[in-house]
Amino acid sequence: MTPFSKTASGTIVAGFSAVEADIIGDLAAQIAGMLVDLAGSRDVDPLFDSVGIGGSAALHDDPAIARLLPDAYGDDADASRDFRQLTERGLARRKVTNAGIVIASLESGAGDVELDEQQSQAWLRTLADIRLTIAARLGIESDGDEGEADGDAAESLRELYDWLAFVTESLIDALEQ
Amino acid sequence: MAKTLESTELHEQTVLDSPWVCLVWNDPVNLMSYVSYVFRSYFGFSREEADRRMLQVHNDGRAVVATGSREEMERHVEAMHDFGLWATLQKADA
Repeated sequence: MTPFSKTASGTIVAGFSAVEADIIGDLAAQIAGMLVDLAGSRDVDPLFDSVGIGGSAALHDDPAIARLLPDAYGDDADASRDFRQLTERGLARRKVTNAGIVIASLESGAGDVELDEQQSQAWLRTLADIRLTIAARLGIESDGDEGEADGDAAESLRELYDWLAFVTESLIDALEQ
Repeated sequence: MAKTLESTELHEQTVLDSPWVCLVWNDPVNLMSYVSYVFRSYFGFSREEADRRMLQVHNDGRAVVATGSREEMERHVEAMHDFGLWATLQKADA
């Protein structure tokens, strides 16, 4: 990967190998796939749907989804439920949209990406969502924790998780240039 | 010459007027640089202030990042969830 940097015109550019671009695109698609049902289903009242109402009643069973769509009130389950029903669909929808922006920006230029401000923000948020999801799958729960998952697959996932941290750092550095 | 008010008194006054807070909680995933970037870009904190609150999250497990009305704090919590930060709101005296 050629790290992110800012161009004279203010866009953010980076270069990924074909394999790296495929991996990021695939992970972004997995985030979108995981959240798309929560972003809105077909058989809902169109009026409620138009304003984003219709979220779940409780924290999701899947630890990755639970981390991406957490409770808003730490000490009030009823308020968390009400808030979730009003906002969860919108939050899931924005995350799906961000992942779609990442995928689209990778499709155009054979691994070279050029991002405007809005696309850069979508990348930042999607990279965070991907790392949170990998961490949930690995069972990473506290600082310095490497997770309980074992085996070659978990080891590859851990390497990917660290590489995505590098990609994120690189993007933040470029945004602040 | 008049004495400058102690900053702690000002802070307590603010809390009395604005009974809700937005908290950001520590998590093992998000990078310190990312959390500081979010605090600067979203809340408009200086680098020093953003780093101070980021370190508070890291060391104490959580930090108050905003104080105000319940509706404002709900908007901030939703924005933090957009960034993947773990945030909640609650009454300031809770």
